[in-house]
Amino acid sequence: MNAERPFIRVVNVSYRYPDGTEALSGINLDIYQGEFMAFVGQNGSGKTTLSKCLNGLFNPTSGDVIVDGLNSKTTSISQMVRRVGYVFQNPDHQLFNSNCWDEIAYGPRNIELPEPEVKTRVAEAARVVGLPETYFGEHPFFLPKGMRQRVAIASILALQPKVIIVDEPTTGQDARQSLEIMDFLADLNQAQGHTVIIITHDMPIVARYARRVVAMGSGRILADGPTAEVFSQPETLAETFIEPPHITQLAQRCRSLGFDPGTLTVEDMLRQFKELVA
Amino acid sequence: MAPIIEIQNYSWRYSYAKMPALNGINLIIEEGAFVGIIGPNGSGKTTLAYSLDGLIPSQYRGIKQGAVNILGREVEAYPAGALQKLVGVVFSDPEAQFTAMTVEDELVFGMENLGLSVPEIRERLEWVTELAELGQLLEKPPYEISGGQKQRVALAAVLAMTPRVMILDEPTSMLDPVSRKRVFDVLVRLKEEQRNTIIVIEHNLENLASLADRMILLSNGELLLEDETHAFFEKMDLLLENGIHPPGAMLFIHRLMQEGYYASRLPLTVDEAAACLTEVVARLKPPGPASSRG
Amino acid sequence: MNKTLLGYVPEQSPIYAVHPFVKLFFLLVVSLFPMFIASPEWNLALMLFILGLMWLSRVDMRVLRIYVPMVISMGSVIFLSYTVLGGVHPEFGLAARIAGVNIYWERIRDASVVYARILPMIFTMVFFLSTSRERDVIVAMRSVRIPFVVTYVFAMALRAAGMVLEDFQIVRQAEQARGFDTAGKSIPYRIRKYVMYMIPLFALSLRRSEEFANALLARGYAFTGEASRVKRADYVLTHYSFRPADLLLTAAIGLAFAALLVLRFGFGYFELERSWFIAWLKTALD
Repeated sequence: MNAERPFIRVVNVSYRYPDGTEALSGINLDIYQGEFMAFVGQNGSGKTTLSKCLNGLFNPTSGDVIVDGLNSKTTSISQMVRRVGYVFQNPDHQLFNSNCWDEIAYGPRNIELPEPEVKTRVAEAARVVGLPETYFGEHPFFLPKGMRQRVAIASILALQPKVIIVDEPTTGQDARQSLEIMDFLADLNQAQGHTVIIITHDMPIVARYARRVVAMGSGRILADGPTAEVFSQPETLAETFIEPPHITQLAQRCRSLGFDPGTLTVEDMLRQFKELVA
Repeated sequence: MAPIIEIQNYSWRYSYAKMPALNGINLIIEEGAFVGIIGPNGSGKTTLAYSLDGLIPSQYRGIKQGAVNILGREVEAYPAGALQKLVGVVFSDPEAQFTAMTVEDELVFGMENLGLSVPEIRERLEWVTELAELGQLLEKPPYEISGGQKQRVALAAVLAMTPRVMILDEPTSMLDPVSRKRVFDVLVRLKEEQRNTIIVIEHNLENLASLADRMILLSNGELLLEDETHAFFEKMDLLLENGIHPPGAMLFIHRLMQEGYYASRLPLTVDEAAACLTEVVARLKPPGPASSRG
Repeated sequence: MNKTLLGYVPEQSPIYAVHPFVKLFFLLVVSLFPMFIASPEWNLALMLFILGLMWLSRVDMRVLRIYVPMVISMGSVIFLSYTVLGGVHPEFGLAARIAGVNIYWERIRDASVVYARILPMIFTMVFFLSTSRERDVIVAMRSVRIPFVVTYVFAMALRAAGMVLEDFQIVRQAEQARGFDTAGKSIPYRIRKYVMYMIPLFALSLRRSEEFANALLARGYAFTGEASRVKRADYVLTHYSFRPADLLLTAAIGLAFAALLVLRFGFGYFELERSWFIAWLKTALD
C-alpha cells in the first residue's frame, strides 16, 4: 500500500434513492493505488451503490467522492470512466455491437480517442484478457458465457482505468473458471498495477485473492481491514451476515488448539498443523 | 426403496452442437434419496435435469439415444402436463421463474394447473408457507422481495404440487450466503419431514455435502463417479482433477489423510472436521508440561 | 404508498373495499358517458366529479401534475388540427384571422366539444390506474370469466414491462460506465444512440423468455391438450367477495348510464344547442 494520497477518497457519503430509501449513510473510505479489495455484504447492504458512486454513475446525495483529485459531482462521465472502470455482472447488459472488436473499441471511441490509439488499446485489452484474434469478428451474443465476460472486461480495460471494479466475477462460474478469472484479475493487480475491487459473495475467493475487505451492512461500513483481520471478528461478521470461508471457520473452531482465527487457506492451515504437532 | 428414476445408456446432443451434451449415462436413483450432482460448467448437469422433467426432448431440438424412465415409464410416454405432477424443477434464476403477480398467486399457480379444488389449495398453501417461512410475504409482488426469497417461493411453489421427485438446478448460485443457507434450511426440513426424492445440482458444496445421501460427478457429458457421500468425497483427487473444489475444511482433512495423520471417515461439515482435528491434535501433539493441566 | 407498475396507489383507501369488478365496470361504463354528452360544461363537470372521487379515494393529487403537460399539449394539438387543418364549409362563420389563417367559429366549437369529451375519459382511466393494484385488474378480469390465457398474458405483460424498465436502467448505467454520455449532445444523436439499448434488452428478453417458458411448463401449465382444459380453481378470487354494497354500486352505475341515455335521447339533454358554455363561447368570440 502506498503512503501517498489515496487515489479515491470517499468523504461522508450518503445516498438516498428517489423513493426515499437510504442506501448509504456516512461512508468514509480511502482507496490507494495497487490495492486488491473486496466489498462484501448482504444484498441491499449498499456495496453496489457505493461502487457506482466511485465511478460517477451515481452522485452522492451528500458528501463527496474524490477520484484522482477530481470531485465526481463536477467531473464529466468520460473523465470519470478513464479512471474508474466498472464491469457489470451480466455481460448481456452491455454487449450490443455486432462483433467483439467494435465492442472493445466502443469505450475508447466514446471518449473520443483518435482511431490509431483506439486500435492499439483494443489489441492490448484483448491480449490481456486472453481473447483470441479469431473471436474479433464474432458476434458477442453467440459466445459462451466465459468469453462474453472477458469481452466485457476487455471493453472496460480498453479505457485503461487505474481502478477496475468487477461486480460478482465468479457467480455462476464453476471452480476452474472462477480461478481463471481471479488469476487474471490478480495479474492485472500485480503485474499491471491496477487497483482491483471485487463485489462478491464468494468468501473463499475473497480469502484467496483480496488483501483488504470492506464489509457493509444497512448502508454502513461495518468492517474495513486486511482480510484475515476482518474474517476473524465474529461479532462484526454476524452483523453483516457474512460467514468466513470454510477453512477459516475450521481454524476459528479450533482456536483453542492454537490455530490462527485469521487463517485463509488450506496450505496455511496445514503449515500451522505441522508446527503444532512437530 | 424402489428405484424411481432409471436412466439407461442415455445420450443427448443438441441440434446446434457438435458434441453430445450427455454421453452414455447409466443411473438409477431410488425413491426418497437426496442426491447431489456436481461438475464443471458445461458438463451436462442442466441437460440431465431437463431430461428428467421432460423439457428435453419436448422443448429442445436434438438427438436422443437410450432411455430416461420415471416410475418405469419413458419420459416421452407421459401426456403433456402429467410428468410435471411427478417431477418438479426449481431453476437457477429467481427472476425468470416467478410467473405470477404476488407470492400467493405464485404458490397457487401450479396447484391451479393441476386442477385442485379451493379447500385443497388452501391446505397445501398453508403447509408450504409454513415450511418455507413465507408467511410475511404472501401479498407481496415479485419486485418487492429479494432473490433469496424468490427462490424459496419457487421451491415452495413446486413443492405445493407434491411431486415425487424434486430437482433443483443450481438453486442458490445467484444468492448471497444468508439466502443460500435459508434455501438449504428448507431442504433440510424437506428431507426430514417428507419422502420426496430430492436431486440438487450445485457448485457450492459447503451446504450440499452434509445433506446428500449420494453424490454424482458429471464431466464432459459423462458420469464419472456415483457413490454414497463419504465414499464419494474420499476420491478427492478425481474431484480435484475435474475442477471440483471441495469445502476447505474437507480438503484440509483430506490432506491430513494423505500425509498419514488421519485415517478414518472423511468429515462433511465444519463441526465434524473440528472434531476430527481436535482428536488428531490431541493424539499427536507432544504432551505439555504438567502445570498446563487444568 | 403501494408501488405498482403504473405509479403509486394509496396505502389506505375506501376504494379497496370495492370489488375490483366494480372498478372495472365503472371504468368501462363511465368512459362511455362522454360519447353521449355534447355540451362541454357537462363533460367538464363529469371530469370534476372523477377528480372528486380520486380525492375521496385518498389518491395523492400530486400525481395529477404528471398529466398536466400532456393535457395541455393534447389540447393544443386538438385545437390546432381542428382550426388550422380542419376543412372549410361554406356556411362557416369567420371568428378570427390570425397570421393569414382563417379561424372559423364552427371549428373552435367542435374542438372544444372534442376536448371536453376526452378529458373525463382520460381521468376515468387515471382514476382506475391510481386505485388499482395489478392484482385488482387481474381479479376484475377473472371475475367476468375472461379466459385464463388472456388474463395471464396481460399479467405477464405487466411484469415484463417492469423487468424491461429495470433492465433498461442497468443497460443505461453499463453504457455510461463505458463513457457513453448524452450530456450536451443533440436530440437526433440521442435518438440514434437509443437504438443501442434495444439490443441488450432484446438479448436479455430472449434469454429470459426461454427460461420463462421452461418455468411455466415446470409448473404444469400446458398450452394444449387435455391438461390445458383443466378447471381452474381461481384461488385468488377467494380473497374478494362480491358484497351487497358492490351490487348496489354496480346497479347505480348501470342506472346512471341508463338515465343518461334516456335524458339524451328522450329529452334532448346534453345537446349542443342547449349548451350555455357554447353559447357563452360564441358571444365571447364575436
